[in-house]
Amino acid sequence: MAFPHRPDAPELPDFSMLKRLARDQLIYLLEQLPGKKDLFIEADLMSPLDRIANVSILKQHEVDKLYKVENKPALSSSEQLCFLVRPRIKNMRYIANLVNADKLAGRTRKYKVIFSPQKFYACEMVLEEEGIYGDVSCDEWAFSLLPLDVDLLSMELPEFFRDYFLEGDQRWINTVAQALHLLSTLYGSFPNCYGIGRCAKMSYELWRKLEEEEDGETKGRRPEIGHIFLLDRDMDFVTALCSQVVYEGLVDDTFRIKCGSVDFGPEVTSSDKSLKVLLNAEDKVFNEIRNEHFSNVFGFLSQKARNLQAQYDRRRGMDIKQMKNFVSQELKGLKQEHRLLSLHIGACESIMKKKTKQDFQELIKTEHALLEGFSIRESTSYIEEHIDRQVSPIESLRLMCLLSITENGEPKRPKTDKAAGKITDAFSSLAKRSNFRAISKKLNLIPRVDGEYDLKVPRDMAYVFSGAYVPLSCRIIEQVLERRSWQGLDEVVRLLNCSEFAFTDMIKDDKASSESLRLILVVFLGGCTFSEISALRFLGREKGYRFIFLTTAVTNSARLMEAMSEVKA
Amino acid sequence: MDCYTANWNPLGDSAFYRKYELYSMDWDLKEELRDCLVAAAPYGGPIALLRNPWRKEKAASVRPVLDIYSASGVPLASLLWKSGPVVSLGWSAEEELLCVQEDGAVLVYGLHGDFRRHFSMGNEVLQNRVLDARIFHTEFGSGVAILTGAHRFTLSANVGDLKLRRMPEVPGLQSAPSCWTTLCQDRVAHILLAVGPDLYLLDHAACSAVIPPGLAPGVSSFLQMAVSFTYRHLALFTDTGYIWMGTASLKVDVGDMAMGLVSRVCPKHMCSRPRSKERAVVVAWERRLMVVGDAPESIQFVLDEDSYLVPELDGVRIFSRSTHEFLHEVPAASEEIFKIASMAPGALLLEAQKEYEKESQKADEYLREIQELGQLTQAVQQCIEAAGHEHQPEMQKSLLRAASFGKCFLDRFPPDSFVRMCQDLRVLNAVRDYHIGIPLTYRKYRYKQLTIQVLLDRLVLRRLYPLAIQICEYLRLPEVQGVSRILAHWACYKVQQKDVSDEDVARAINQKLGDTPGVSYSDIAARAYGCGRTELAIKLLEYEPRSGEQVPLLLKMKRSKLALSKAIESGDTDLVFTVLLHLKNELNRGDFFMTLRNQPMALSLYRQFCKHQELETLKDLYNQDDNHQELGSFHIRASYAAEERIEGRVAALQTAADAFYKAKNEFAAKATEDQMRLLRLQRRLEDELGGQFLDLSLHDTVTTLILGGHNKRAEQLARDFRIPDKRLWWLKLTALADLEDWEELEKFSKSKKSPIGYLPFVEICMKQHNKYEAKKYASRVGPEQKVKALLLVGDVAQAADVAIEHRNEAELSLVLSHCTGATDGATADKIQRARAQAQKK
Repeated sequence: MAFPHRPDAPELPDFSMLKRLARDQLIYLLEQLPGKKDLFIEADLMSPLDRIANVSILKQHEVDKLYKVENKPALSSSEQLCFLVRPRIKNMRYIANLVNADKLAGRTRKYKVIFSPQKFYACEMVLEEEGIYGDVSCDEWAFSLLPLDVDLLSMELPEFFRDYFLEGDQRWINTVAQALHLLSTLYGSFPNCYGIGRCAKMSYELWRKLEEEEDGETKGRRPEIGHIFLLDRDMDFVTALCSQVVYEGLVDDTFRIKCGSVDFGPEVTSSDKSLKVLLNAEDKVFNEIRNEHFSNVFGFLSQKARNLQAQYDRRRGMDIKQMKNFVSQELKGLKQEHRLLSLHIGACESIMKKKTKQDFQELIKTEHALLEGFSIRESTSYIEEHIDRQVSPIESLRLMCLLSITENGEPKRPKTDKAAGKITDAFSSLAKRSNFRAISKKLNLIPRVDGEYDLKVPRDMAYVFSGAYVPLSCRIIEQVLERRSWQGLDEVVRLLNCSEFAFTDMIKDDKASSESLRLILVVFLGGCTFSEISALRFLGREKGYRFIFLTTAVTNSARLMEAMSEVKA
Repeated sequence: MDCYTANWNPLGDSAFYRKYELYSMDWDLKEELRDCLVAAAPYGGPIALLRNPWRKEKAASVRPVLDIYSASGVPLASLLWKSGPVVSLGWSAEEELLCVQEDGAVLVYGLHGDFRRHFSMGNEVLQNRVLDARIFHTEFGSGVAILTGAHRFTLSANVGDLKLRRMPEVPGLQSAPSCWTTLCQDRVAHILLAVGPDLYLLDHAACSAVIPPGLAPGVSSFLQMAVSFTYRHLALFTDTGYIWMGTASLKVDVGDMAMGLVSRVCPKHMCSRPRSKERAVVVAWERRLMVVGDAPESIQFVLDEDSYLVPELDGVRIFSRSTHEFLHEVPAASEEIFKIASMAPGALLLEAQKEYEKESQKADEYLREIQELGQLTQAVQQCIEAAGHEHQPEMQKSLLRAASFGKCFLDRFPPDSFVRMCQDLRVLNAVRDYHIGIPLTYRKYRYKQLTIQVLLDRLVLRRLYPLAIQICEYLRLPEVQGVSRILAHWACYKVQQKDVSDEDVARAINQKLGDTPGVSYSDIAARAYGCGRTELAIKLLEYEPRSGEQVPLLLKMKRSKLALSKAIESGDTDLVFTVLLHLKNELNRGDFFMTLRNQPMALSLYRQFCKHQELETLKDLYNQDDNHQELGSFHIRASYAAEERIEGRVAALQTAADAFYKAKNEFAAKATEDQMRLLRLQRRLEDELGGQFLDLSLHDTVTTLILGGHNKRAEQLARDFRIPDKRLWWLKLTALADLEDWEELEKFSKSKKSPIGYLPFVEICMKQHNKYEAKKYASRVGPEQKVKALLLVGDVAQAADVAIEHRNEAELSLVLSHCTGATDGATADKIQRARAQAQKK
């Protein structure tokens, strides 16, 4: 059922090194402030930090108490305060308030601010304006790459999307370049580079500059990863705006996967408490179903349950010795599997309850109609009804955006009184003239199917959207990799309004092994969805590649829309 | 061999001194040395002469001339002295010429007579004038010590980091001390001075009288004193004609003491020599030079001319109008080899090699002799070391040849020392050349502070770039330390050539430097800017690959706009920000905004910043650009974030609406106006009905009204805001179902034909689990959705009937999928039959 990799699939590089590196650096920074100290952590950094260093490691390095950076006065009594924050102005204000309050109270403490992944001049300036620049010491924790899974690296920078694509703020580009530089230092430079998008191009150029400035050591390294592909999110908003139907994507849409783990509530765990579950390749059950279309998952799980039962049942006929063997060797594994299985079955039930209602099917139908570009009138009235019923403003907005883009950015704005500001913002950023129809035709994104699309045996990447649509982003990547350049895709590039920003760069390197040439690093600038990941994993299996994903954050349609709406400060 | 030791002079039993010529000077001096102020830098450094000093009364109209020569007498610079009278000259460790003026001002010149800077030794010095001054060297750098007219001392231990120290007063000092010197002990500079028969040691805190141990009685005055190069040894010349020698600490350290009657005439120079088997001091008079040591005998030389002595680490340089000589103790290795009838292994090896060249069998005999004693290794080492101490390349060669010959008979002799010596000698010989004129000895080069880096610096200072580069290449120094550094220096020198055009200089520099790693174009540009050549600096910056380096300099040169575009090019937002803030302070607001306008990236960055820090500026920014759309959004935001009172919020929205009109965004303007109306209305509702209405959406407001039973008002609101019929129906439906007011719902459903059909009624009733009510509406559902509705209420059989009637395949399968188990068995059969029938047709 789960597709095995082809036997010749290349091995993935070991990314756990990145974790060790980040941990060592953090420890070093903490040691810079010897003695007991309280650590203030920004909420956004808590989950990533948890994946790098747990509380006991922090305690080992004399972190006394942990606080969350929030808009409340801190009650720390420690003589040394350490702040672990993103470089944001509001955090600087928080720190400044704290320090200035101490000053008023005539209290002197040591303060240290650790910026992750880097500090910005603007932050230091705010500290200066607030008059506390001399009181705090600043450091950088260059922790920009978190391996969420064996093939997924996340920068955990969800704000990248809003900052760059909506506000036009380019400050994270440097961070991306630094991250690429780190990868190329550790795993060798990438012999073949492709990219599309303004941000992709700028990041790439900045990274090359870094490499040139600091060449020497990296040059001799044998490249482990043969290709790198950089892609801006604004090349393909459509895919990201669609509802996901692949298991991992569905779990993300329904429960929100945060930093590689998910909180399953009581309705899933069938007990009275929630459970935090790490979702990655180590979870054997999950690993087999994550890339499956949801319609297959339940059947698979019940099959699995039967198998498990059979294995349990084997003990019936065992003698003492076999039993001993069974208990000592297999039982633990079986129990573990049992636990996971019941969790995922619970999750499935919960999803089914929410999603297999008629509403959801209608929604998917509408989305597919939009993608294919037929019965627009019905779709529009569906959206209107969606608004009329006040189902969810974010959802309505998402559908409107999808409508707008698939209809080439000619917004048929249904009049609405609600959240006018939100619409203006979302539309001004999304409803640029797109050429989705033409691109879709050119790249054959809507597969012509005769009869039922068999989701059990997928034929192409469209399976991640029930066979209705091949994700545009993944198709671009597939096409370019096939041609090893943008040659022959001029028309597509033009339709994407990206003529200046599509590039190919071959760095001559004979040392690249054939194994490494089948490893491809895909960099999504602005986030990618689990559906895209699943689609490319499928493509990899078909062609004997392995994809490695680097994203600024894992996103989905809801996150995308939320990022664009203004939050009340 | 015999003649080789001809210039050796024994001092005592164990040491020999030799004096040899370094250069014959052809500097064509018109004046006598004694008429000039002379300063010669140690480590074979340059010589400065200030002719026509003020001590002789001459016509004031004649300006004195300051000449600078290399150690070989090659003129480096000559300039007319236009400043005040100079008391003393001296070279700093960085080979800068320090000229101490009578008024306490110290003028600093470069090697090529270029004025660098000046500093003052303080007011006290200015008032009392300078009586005498010394430039001295410590491990921190070069210091200046001054004796003022008031017989007080002021000193600064490091002219690079000027800290003036006024030394304590010497009690009862009425006249100038007969002689004085600076000492450096425990990293602190002291002054030792002699007044009549007494010696005083001045440190920062106190003045203490000291008595040299073992000094012969009867001394009424000290005429001269000298300290060794390293401040370890001291020699005092008394009026009784004795020389006392001891450690500079003047502690009871007898045995360091020696006396010898020399002369009653005051010597001109004294240089003390440490670090040898025999302590010795070199004393010079008008025509006589003497080396005095522990031994009763001393070495005497006759001086043909007026000479000047320069103390060095391992000897004394003596130069006069015609020659430049070096006097030093013969090093141990040379002595071993060249001493008459020496049987040292090195000597034998040298002999063996000579015989070998003559193809004589004696070579073998000598070699055997050394080998029998097992001293061949030692012999080779001796020859290598001795080669280093020889001045003549010929002699160096023959010694090295001997060493290399000896090496052949050794199995494992590490080659480094030999190779290193060959390299060192090549370098040394090159810089000793007459044209270069840096007479360095091997010992100074290798054992003391003067490393290859310093040597290269000195060559660069003398603008001998080609030689420096050749040395780098010869020694295979890493580019960053060697060639690039020198090229950068060359470029810095090049930009100072004012007669060459900017283009030519920039091109020449780029041609030579190319992309040599480690060359910082920004440093060169900074130098160009320092010389006032801004245009050239900008041209040079073009070659700088790192934007981070370009920007700060451009800012400094007030090319902020160029800096901005460079910063943007770099993609480094921090850099852009730096420039932005700079621009913000530099330009007036209008110009600043105009600049931003042309730089979208900078603009958005600044906007981001303003959003958090300076909201007002943000508004101004939009105003400036006539960006009404953004301005509108800004006011909308303000209405929610900043304003508390309803009036304020409405006013902000009004401003926003105006802006939207200006931006021709009718939709946004209308929506904003609606929101204003809604706000006012909500306020009124709150006043009249109580409860929470503010900030609800229109939809929620109407819903709340219905839930509160204010149906009339709800209708009114819906009419006022022209809520579409469909929406209103949905709204009412949901609200009434929530209230479970089934009666009202039914009334509502019958009020007129539903614009949304009756399926939603069924759905909503089922949601509230009211099957009874649901069934009422199911019958009213239109034919298209009838099946769905029937299925919803669970009437599978009837659904099947309708589906069959419709002959709709999709509907049939839908019903079929709802058929469960035994109860619906009959229905399922019915459908199957209908299907079969349909297919037949």
